[in-house]
Amino acid sequence: MADSSKPRISSARETMETLMEISSLLNTGLDEETLATCVRLCESGVNPEALALVIKELRRESAAIKENESSQQSTTFS
Amino acid sequence: MASQGDYAVTSPSAILQKLCCKITGLPDDTVLPYYQLSLRIISSKFSPAIETDEFQVSEKIKRQLARKGREKDAALFSELHRKLKAQGVLHNRWAVLHLLMTLSDTGIKRQAAPSFDSSIFNKGLPAYATSTPFHPTIRANNLTLSGSTILSGGSSGISSINSGLTSSTTPVAQSFIPSNAVVSVQNNRHEDKSNQRQNVGTKSQTITLTNKNFESAVVPRTPGTVVSTQTPASRDKDNTSFEIPENELLKDLMFAFQGIEGRWIKFNSAKDGYRIEHQVGIPKSVRQLISKLTECGWLYNRTKSYITSWSSDKAFGLVGQSFCAALHQELAEYYRFITVMEAQVQHERDQGIGDVNGGLTLRRLAVWTFDPLVRLKVLAALVDVCKGKKGGALASAIYSYMQHGDPYVRSLIRHTLTMVFQPIYATLVRWIYDGELEDTYHEFFVASDPTVNNDKLWNDKYSLRKTMIPTCLSIEQARRILLTGKSINFLRQVCEDRTATTGREAAMDLDISQAETMFTQDVNSAFQQMIDTVYKETSRNLLDVFHSKYKFLDHLKAMRRYLLLGQGDFIRHLMDLLEEDLAKPASNLYLHNLTGILEMAIRATNAQYDDSDTLKRLDVRLLEVSPGDTGWDVFSLDYHVDGPIKTVFTPESMILYLRVFNFLWRAKRMEYILAMIWKNQISYAKSLKSIPELNKILHQCHILGAEMVHFIQQVQYYINFEVLECSWDELLTKVHEAEDLDHIIAAHQVFQDTVISRCLLDEKSRAILTQLRTIFDLIIQFQTAQRQFYESAELEVSFRDKFEKMKEKHTEEGDWAVTEVEVVEEQKRKDEFLNTVIPSTWAQLTVLSQSYQDMVQQFLVMLTCHPDVNLRFLSFRLDFNENYKARAPEQFNSPLMYQRTKRVR
Repeated sequence: MADSSKPRISSARETMETLMEISSLLNTGLDEETLATCVRLCESGVNPEALALVIKELRRESAAIKENESSQQSTTFS
Repeated sequence: MASQGDYAVTSPSAILQKLCCKITGLPDDTVLPYYQLSLRIISSKFSPAIETDEFQVSEKIKRQLARKGREKDAALFSELHRKLKAQGVLHNRWAVLHLLMTLSDTGIKRQAAPSFDSSIFNKGLPAYATSTPFHPTIRANNLTLSGSTILSGGSSGISSINSGLTSSTTPVAQSFIPSNAVVSVQNNRHEDKSNQRQNVGTKSQTITLTNKNFESAVVPRTPGTVVSTQTPASRDKDNTSFEIPENELLKDLMFAFQGIEGRWIKFNSAKDGYRIEHQVGIPKSVRQLISKLTECGWLYNRTKSYITSWSSDKAFGLVGQSFCAALHQELAEYYRFITVMEAQVQHERDQGIGDVNGGLTLRRLAVWTFDPLVRLKVLAALVDVCKGKKGGALASAIYSYMQHGDPYVRSLIRHTLTMVFQPIYATLVRWIYDGELEDTYHEFFVASDPTVNNDKLWNDKYSLRKTMIPTCLSIEQARRILLTGKSINFLRQVCEDRTATTGREAAMDLDISQAETMFTQDVNSAFQQMIDTVYKETSRNLLDVFHSKYKFLDHLKAMRRYLLLGQGDFIRHLMDLLEEDLAKPASNLYLHNLTGILEMAIRATNAQYDDSDTLKRLDVRLLEVSPGDTGWDVFSLDYHVDGPIKTVFTPESMILYLRVFNFLWRAKRMEYILAMIWKNQISYAKSLKSIPELNKILHQCHILGAEMVHFIQQVQYYINFEVLECSWDELLTKVHEAEDLDHIIAAHQVFQDTVISRCLLDEKSRAILTQLRTIFDLIIQFQTAQRQFYESAELEVSFRDKFEKMKEKHTEEGDWAVTEVEVVEEQKRKDEFLNTVIPSTWAQLTVLSQSYQDMVQQFLVMLTCHPDVNLRFLSFRLDFNENYKARAPEQFNSPLMYQRTKRVR
């Protein structure tokens, strides 16, 4: 694999753009910021599998929260 | 692992927290439980996959897109992917891609449960199961966490269609999390399945899910069991748990094709083939596919090892070398194929994910290797069958594959054969046109024995190597080829004739390209024609030389005239001259005297007009002398042969000639003796009339003599006409018809054999021959007896004459004709003569005639029992009036004799 440890800003942006495109192509539902965060995590060696799981979990949780909020029910986490 | 985990917590934790906030939209403080949860999940799964294969992931994405009918997007994706690679900013491209892939299609629908399910089932690693510290507490927490999500996710996670089922869905998630964490056995198929499931309608999706979950819900929290019920195949002895990227496999296959061990594909000596290593996990189907594909490598190795082991062997010979060359050509073709494939693989690696439709996959490779595999199979089969063979045998072995039903294979074999036959054909052409045998490695089917000198060139020097005759040639053709070359050699070396075969130049020009005609004779008769023309041409040439230059026929006739007593006047005269000498004991004979006599006989008879060369060759030879032999027993004529004709008149056949001569000479002598006897009988008949007492004896002599003359005449007739003339005529016809020298030799052989067997000289007739000899001896005894008798009778006659003359003289002188004393003396002598000589001679003759008749009878009985019909005719001739049968009918009661007599009547 090509090894360039000092990413230049322009190319980084380009990369991010490409990734974003792919992301939208694949309909991942990630926005640019989330994607950037994920990429950073991945780059730091986080298992993408796990990361994906985390994102899904979080989304589910947030959806639950929103639902809860909308139904005006208060739930607590133990 | 632990340090990595720590690292994950320290450095990316902030990012993670940020992520949590971002997704949940909660402030930093309330997001904590989520953050903790994420941290746990991440730390528990924090292990890089064994294979971080970007290609694989991208392929999978493309497949997903393609499956949904978004080929355009797939193309777009590969474009983007290429761009991404080109930028080279990211280190873990595969990770990002994988993440995106896992999250794909979650954007709008947010199908938490199915995608969760699918993602859980995604790649897990066995290595991970063991290497990651597994804390039950974490799991417990995890479980409780999941449990807590049930409450919240119950209504939202699953689609709203069937909310009642959510309660049964969630425990699955419960049990699946650890199952993934602990065993994580998964394969591609499953993933595909789950992906598909994902895409099926929501309803059926839920149902299948339910079923499945129900099943696993029975055994919750026993992940191993769950897995085992789901994928029993995965517990197979081959590990099929995870996927090696296809690209890598292809690369490995390229190595395996060349017989080199790859990264995963190793040579398994127990199974004698290339196999994916046992512990490497790939699906069974792929495993099988690879096993099939690697057959190429195995076959290649086989062929290659044959070539390397033999092509270095100098003694392997030209045919073997050309076979190796043919194999090499085929392998070069195969190398080309590998190169193309490898370039394809390489290209795709460089290009990243290639076009979906054009990319190289294992299955495509399987299709592409079909033809090379067939070729290699045939080559390996050839190599197997040709092991240890060389020359013509090798060609035969390959030729046996020529009848293959598959035209593709046949053309391959044909091509190989053409190469293999080239050296054979070249040798053959050299052989039949030039008579030169360029066969350093003993591959050709004509063998030459260098120790044999020119005398025996035709008979012994060249022979056929039966094993080396290619099966496409018939034995007859091989024989002709052998003969042609042999004839040329014979002409060159023995006859010293150097005329080149016509059409030689043309044949030399065509040369190698015609090799194919050798093994395609069923459709192409060019080879046969070539062999035939050259054979005819050469044989005719040889026979011409044989007849004109070496006067074969003249020599043959000389044999007939001298050794087989064809020249009657010469033989008779020779016998006249030799009679005196030959009567002496054999030890007193001198060769030079006899040669002188032979010379005289030639000069005095018609033999002098014969060819001087022939006469020069004629010589006297004395056979081995054994004690008691007379000259008659050892005398023999001889005929010297040399040069090419010696090929026909071999020393062995000359000995046969001498044996026949000896027999004929004896028979001739009997005739001669009987003629003398008859002559004496006639000449003495008058003079002995004066003694009337002798009449009885003379009569007896006449009878016995006549009997013998009849016997010998019939025997001579038989020998001359039924044996010699018949066979001779046959021989002459055959010699005129002969196409090659071998025919002449064979005809001559037949001639000699017939003569020998009919002259009773072979083993079977030994008893009859002895009998005949005894009869001959009796004739000689009779001659001696008669001579003695005539001598004494002559003496008596002369005494009586003298007595009469004395009486006359006394009377003339006026004395008494006889005195008392003289009368008494005369009477006494007369009485003595009558009392001694006559009875003894009588007795002798009686014994002789008796034994003679017995012998002849015996002889006749033997003749009738002889298998040869001609000899039975002889017995019929001898006993034409049934004289002997009448005398001793009981002896002729053999069934054969009975038949004969019956037929006669």
